Amino acid sequence: MDPKVLDVGLHERRRARRMQDQEYREAYEQASRELAQTDALIRELDSLRVDLGISKAELARRVNRNASSVRRLFTADQPRPELPLIVALADALGAELRVVPRTPEAQSTTGGGSDRRRVPANT
Amino acid sequence: MPPRHRDKHETARSAAPAEGRQNPWAVIYFRASDGAVPSLAFLNECPSTLDAQFTAVLDAVAAAPPPQFSGGGKWEAMHGSMSGFYEIRLSGPRREQFRLFCLLENGSTEELASRGLPGPAIAVITGMRKPWRTAFSDRDYQYVRSLAREHRCNYPRSIATL
Repeated sequence: MDPKVLDVGLHERRRARRMQDQEYREAYEQASRELAQTDALIRELDSLRVDLGISKAELARRVNRNASSVRRLFTADQPRPELPLIVALADALGAELRVVPRTPEAQSTTGGGSDRRRVPANT
Repeated sequence: MPPRHRDKHETARSAAPAEGRQNPWAVIYFRASDGAVPSLAFLNECPSTLDAQFTAVLDAVAAAPPPQFSGGGKWEAMHGSMSGFYEIRLSGPRREQFRLFCLLENGSTEELASRGLPGPAIAVITGMRKPWRTAFSDRDYQYVRSLAREHRCNYPRSIATL
């Protein structure tokens, strides 16, 4: 390794070490799934907006919100997406949200086997 | 910076990096001049499940940094006196609030090299916790900013490696 380049691998090593703990691993995997679901939902809405050629400001007007609230939703400026806003945006984009049970294959890979439901954008 | 939009047909997937796969951005932990690593001290004192959640958020951001990643409801750009920082916001037992404060290390290859970084990185500065429905004080935030100033003055960066 170039002596001038720092070793930036601690994060991976620490994660690998902590993942040996089952409680930690399960919490990590659950959080990862939730993050991915939330991010995918927001991205799907934004992608649909772009496909329809609707500006964020126009979309905000259609759901009677400030343009900033819609802009924040599609960036890291909005930490807690509101479900009513998500639903309103989906409706304004001609889409709807549906709760879809995981497939048995997905259930077995997530390790939980719970009946927790997910909320993808259904366009 | 990665492209703004994902393929719309791409399905949601776990942010957990596949075995052996490197995220586009690294995650580094600021080490103070006295050798202390405030962020790791904070994470090590968090309940295990919260430590795991913080790590999952860091990995999700490292895999697809803003603006590509929406934040997933946990990663927030800060404003005002904390402009330039990002925080990861989690709730713990009895609604205790846990926050991890980060900076984004990005720039030209030459600039990153001057910082000792092989590529862009999320610099984790420190973390703090507070009871529900309370606020951090100005002094708390000043402390975070003072650590960040120290971090940014280091060429190359001072980071934890062990």
